[in-house]
Amino acid sequence: MNDRKKARQHRISRRTMLRGAGVVMALPWLESIPVFGADIAPGATSGAAANLAPKRFAALFMANGINALHWTAKGDGADMVLGKTLAPMEKLKTKMNFITGLFNKAATGVGIHPGQTGNLLSGAQLQKGAELRGGTSMDQVLAARLGEQTIQPSMVLGCEQPVTGYHETNFSMAYSSHISWQSATSPVPLEEYPSLAFDSLFDNHGSQRNKSILDRVRQQATTLSQQVSSSDKAKLDEYLTSVRSVEQRIESTREIRDKAEANAKDRGKPMVAMKRPDNGLPEDIREHMKLMCDIVALGFQTDKTRIATLLLCRDISGLCYPFLDVKVSHHPASHNDKSDAYERICRYYVGHFAYLAEKLDAMIEGESTVLDNSCIMFMSNMWSGSQHDSTKLPILTAGGLGGTLKTGRVLDYLDKGNENRKMCSLYLSLMDKMDVKLDRFGDADTRLAQI
Amino acid sequence: MLCRMNILAGLLLLQSATFGGAVAEPAAEPTQGELSTRFTQSIHPFLDTYCINCHGKLKPKGDLDLTPFATMDAVAADPKRWQLVLDKLKAGEMPPEKAKKQPAADSRQQAVDWIVAMRRFEGRRNAGDPGPVLARRLSNAEYDYTIRDLTGVDIHPTKEFPIDPANEAGFDNSGESLAMSPSLLKKYMEAARLVSEHLVLKPDGIAFAPFAVIDETDRDKYCVNRIIEFYKRQPTNLAGYFLAAWQFQNRAVLGEPKLTVEQLASREHLSAKYLPVVFETLTAADEQTGPIAALQAMWKNLPTPDAAHVDEARKGCEQMRDWVIDLRKKVRPEFKNLALRGMNPGSQPLVLWKDHQYANTRFDYAPGSALKLKTDKLGGEAMAIPAEQPARDQFEASFKKFCTVFPDTFVVTERARMYLDPEKEKLLTGRLLSAGFHSQMGYFRDDAPLVQLILNQDQRREIDTLWHELDFIADVPRRTFQGMMWFERSDSSFMRSTEFDFARAEERGLLSESNLKKLEDLFIAKASKATTNAVVLQAVKDYFEDINRVSRGLDRDRLAAEPTHVAALQDFAQRAYRRPLTAAEREDLATFYRGLRSDEHLDHEEAIRDTLVSILMSPYFCYRVNASEPGQGFHPLSNYELASRLSYFLWSSMPDKELLAHAAAGDLKDPQVLLSQTHRMMQDRRVHDFATEFAGNWLDFRRFEEHNGVDRERFKSFDNDLREAMYQEPIRFFHHVVESDASVLDFLYGDYTFVNATLARHYGMPVPDGAPDKWVRIDHARQYERGGLLPMAVFLTKNAPGLRTSPVKRGYWVVKRMLGEVIPPPPADVPALPPDESKLGDLTLPQTLARHREDKSCATCHEHFDAMGLAFEGYGPIGELRKLDLGGKPVENHVTFRDGSQGTGLDGLMKYVRDRRQADFLDNLCRKLLAEALGRSLMLSDDPLIEQMRGKLAANQYRFSTLVDSIVTSPQFRNKRAQGALAKG
Repeated sequence: MNDRKKARQHRISRRTMLRGAGVVMALPWLESIPVFGADIAPGATSGAAANLAPKRFAALFMANGINALHWTAKGDGADMVLGKTLAPMEKLKTKMNFITGLFNKAATGVGIHPGQTGNLLSGAQLQKGAELRGGTSMDQVLAARLGEQTIQPSMVLGCEQPVTGYHETNFSMAYSSHISWQSATSPVPLEEYPSLAFDSLFDNHGSQRNKSILDRVRQQATTLSQQVSSSDKAKLDEYLTSVRSVEQRIESTREIRDKAEANAKDRGKPMVAMKRPDNGLPEDIREHMKLMCDIVALGFQTDKTRIATLLLCRDISGLCYPFLDVKVSHHPASHNDKSDAYERICRYYVGHFAYLAEKLDAMIEGESTVLDNSCIMFMSNMWSGSQHDSTKLPILTAGGLGGTLKTGRVLDYLDKGNENRKMCSLYLSLMDKMDVKLDRFGDADTRLAQI
Repeated sequence: MLCRMNILAGLLLLQSATFGGAVAEPAAEPTQGELSTRFTQSIHPFLDTYCINCHGKLKPKGDLDLTPFATMDAVAADPKRWQLVLDKLKAGEMPPEKAKKQPAADSRQQAVDWIVAMRRFEGRRNAGDPGPVLARRLSNAEYDYTIRDLTGVDIHPTKEFPIDPANEAGFDNSGESLAMSPSLLKKYMEAARLVSEHLVLKPDGIAFAPFAVIDETDRDKYCVNRIIEFYKRQPTNLAGYFLAAWQFQNRAVLGEPKLTVEQLASREHLSAKYLPVVFETLTAADEQTGPIAALQAMWKNLPTPDAAHVDEARKGCEQMRDWVIDLRKKVRPEFKNLALRGMNPGSQPLVLWKDHQYANTRFDYAPGSALKLKTDKLGGEAMAIPAEQPARDQFEASFKKFCTVFPDTFVVTERARMYLDPEKEKLLTGRLLSAGFHSQMGYFRDDAPLVQLILNQDQRREIDTLWHELDFIADVPRRTFQGMMWFERSDSSFMRSTEFDFARAEERGLLSESNLKKLEDLFIAKASKATTNAVVLQAVKDYFEDINRVSRGLDRDRLAAEPTHVAALQDFAQRAYRRPLTAAEREDLATFYRGLRSDEHLDHEEAIRDTLVSILMSPYFCYRVNASEPGQGFHPLSNYELASRLSYFLWSSMPDKELLAHAAAGDLKDPQVLLSQTHRMMQDRRVHDFATEFAGNWLDFRRFEEHNGVDRERFKSFDNDLREAMYQEPIRFFHHVVESDASVLDFLYGDYTFVNATLARHYGMPVPDGAPDKWVRIDHARQYERGGLLPMAVFLTKNAPGLRTSPVKRGYWVVKRMLGEVIPPPPADVPALPPDESKLGDLTLPQTLARHREDKSCATCHEHFDAMGLAFEGYGPIGELRKLDLGGKPVENHVTFRDGSQGTGLDGLMKYVRDRRQADFLDNLCRKLLAEALGRSLMLSDDPLIEQMRGKLAANQYRFSTLVDSIVTSPQFRNKRAQGALAKG
């Protein structure tokens, strides 16, 4: 039983870690997006193409809650009235949902901070002490199921270094540093460097790594088959043919990419509208967060990955915001969550969410946009930083997941009863829409109403 | 219809040779010419007359076209078909009754004799032919075992591979069945990646962790666990030392006057360094007052530790230990927190200073503390605090000495927050090796007493290495420092002032000497404004100096380790390829690594992992292939090839060090060495894997671990534990026979078996004590209707369809798997029996089957096995003993065997097998074992070896090793075919 469980964990960890898992790829979506319209089969409508568009999911995390005084939205669609903090979303309010009242039961009653964070995307009970144990997060469940189809199963990005150590609640601080977990015991390592995150998408880094290896073993097999009998040669040929076939698939994905890039250039729309970020780390956190959003957008547009999480800051964050005229760092600022200063911080974070959403919305895909075929979610681990209140969480979503998720709505679940306001129910619903159907996830076995 | 039985070639061959007729004496072996002539003159015309009509080119009956067999060579090239022809002719089943032309008895006999003689001739002519042993990939099981032996950790990378198909002989270890495909190759890639994720890069080489160690938290876990395990292994329990010292004191009385302290320490698993210290302290003269005197008094009051009183003495020692620990706490120096304005008391420099104070005073006595102790009843007179000098000074001096022998603790393995009330922090357990900061990661080593008093040189080196590896593998200094930078802006506010704004914890150059210097200067400047306390300023300075020193050391070690890791991979490749690497191959591997660094821009660790993946993807690792030499005939396997062949036969895994050493020395081909290695290997624990693979394939229970054919609602006792126990029973039995070189007849008649508690309950045997994985041998098992392979629950369950037994399947299993009969599959239109025994109506299962056998076409096959299966009717669908079937009728297990003899139940079946079928069993076992060993299906040319194996078995009390010895010394095992394959075979 235990062994099997372990094996399952390995499975997920392997897929996630295996940067080269994209060796065998589905036909990249690039081929048929209208910017390369010439490649669409004659007679196919762009509407049909839109239906084929892949669905993407991203979660953007900001720590320690919001300023509840200004975290408000009323009305529907274009008539929606947004509170001050949500002002950056004004242009996109028909494409977004404002969701309140959801919570993770396992993140309540266990003390503050790490126990409220490490299970944000899994709903799992966390274990205290030296041994980490929680649950696989929903983004990694999606990555494990869908990741085979793209170069990168998922992108797990962060703008603040993870820490471990122990919190006063005796939970490991690793829970405060990671929302993406590849197994019950292992978080997904964060990529903090924009340049490396970029490379992982655009250098074909993963498959290239496998290609060098396959090159080498092909040579060995060729040498070896010259030293054996003819019947053995036939057996080794099986191996050689397999190696070549896998190599060719890697080649072909590169050719498709090259062709798509050439097509795009002819139409005056360079596919990679972003130059490779510098090697170092941006000194300015604003620049850092923006670059990370750009990379998620590019990853989605070019279908190099369909799943991303971005930890804009860590729980108990030490990020400083001199440019917002805030004297203290994030965590102490959150202890005064009703202050103007903290409101400015929250609005700053929503601004990045809006930036990503707008960017995706500007990427045309058939008759819709990449945003229309995605769901990006803004979330925090608390409602109020002064109260460390995780009995309800602030959630924004943007994008319609290919027409399966209605937007322009304000949804409040607070008075619907604990059984009917689970984060994991929301995850089940979202995963459904991405064709990953589970009977249960975390603490939920029902879908969320209205989603 | 070709729906009849075959009996195995070898058996027939033997029978024919002995009783058959024409080929009576080996001396009278016909020549090829004679046989060929006989074929042309009489056999070919015989075929033309009686067979070709139905078995011709057009729509041949039973898909058997006999027209291509126009010469003896053509016949010899297809022994399988001609086995069938032989069987049919012998049994009188062909030509069929309804055929118009029937051969006379003597011409039928002539044909039979010719086929037998031809087969015998062919078998002898090429006797010992190694045969076509195809290059092949490792089977899934072999891959898993090999990875385990290669890395030292059991990763099971093939969990997601498709099941390997078996070859004709039923084994999944031959090139005939083991194929490769692009999708499987991809899985190989994933498997190799998975293994590479377990790779740990150590300062002096490589190792493999039991779990993936990519994420930092997993690296922490790996390193910390190893340190904790080391500490747990150390003998720090004072009670043990007190008792041993007492035993030593009483050694003469206890009848061991010559016992030395060293001997005693080693026997009691105590430190040979610390035990004399404790003994000396307890026997020191001049201790009138203070804790040592008190301890001496308690010790002397212990009863003599003879057998009758040792427990009482131990209890007394435990009391002494608790007294020491309690007292020791009260007299150790205590330290207050350091404070610095703007810095949280849980900040790193302040906490580390405090950690050091405690760590440095483990042997210290706090002056004056002894004079404030409360009355100590246990300590008695000696602990009475003297009222006057100089007695008070002497009293304290005794404490000082006491503290140097008994530190307040030997090692600190857990630490909650260091700056808070220890009593309140007690609940925060499990912070292994923690430095005790607030929220931040950090480790602190505090084991000086253990190192100084208990560990020997080697152990000291080991624990030093483990701590160094923690820094090296888990990159501890960098991460700790990053934690500091976050914390001083979050809970603490020291770095919130603007001069620190430039610094980001995420920056790669964080720990560079210049960066550290810059930060240190800023820290000191700010601290100097806040305090004039030199201790605080020194603590801050020390903090930066420590980080810098350790970081510089790691930089150097990292650089130095790079070539070491490449060299370690070269050695790894050598073991993975199961042979030495040529100089060119070694260089090639290093070139590949360098290419990954320079051309692919991978960092060292990525490049090492990818190089490892390339080793595991190499055909030299995942294939077994014997380079063949030009020419005809056969050549001896090289020493290394022979080592692999031997290890994959007996262990299903790679050769070990010793075997490779013999290969390197070149003496493995020496039959004496070969046999002694074989016997050594049969005693190794890895024989368990051989037992699993060979017995599992032979007896067809390899996948019983996943068997889901049991209705768990009806059979509540059947759970995963019972299933696992059932699966283990034949493996353990087989392992025992191999290991103890028992008689192979034990498989049939052994009056013993092996059970754990779960299986014992199932069998109604006395339940052994101990854990579920404790297995015991049960002798006189027949009283429980068990013993040997036949009545094992795994076979009875696997061959029952859930809610009833299946005498058909059970009997078929006996004749096919144990006795080696080949029986064709049933026709498609056989009516099924009801799935539930209780739904059979008035008839019992045996009666229902008897009715089935009334149909002649069914009977021809069923009479071969129904009786065998019916004998098991006393065992229910999960192999449980029963008197009534599920329909409530008494079970009938009295059966009539094929030869007309009768018997009841297991005893009856055993008797029948012993009287009539034992030779079949032995022949089958020999063939199966040889097929497994050679990794191919058997050929006619193997028949002489089979004959020889059987002869030797009988002459050597049927010992299992006889079979293995014959095989490993046989020419087919030790040779390989040359490139120009044999013309025939």
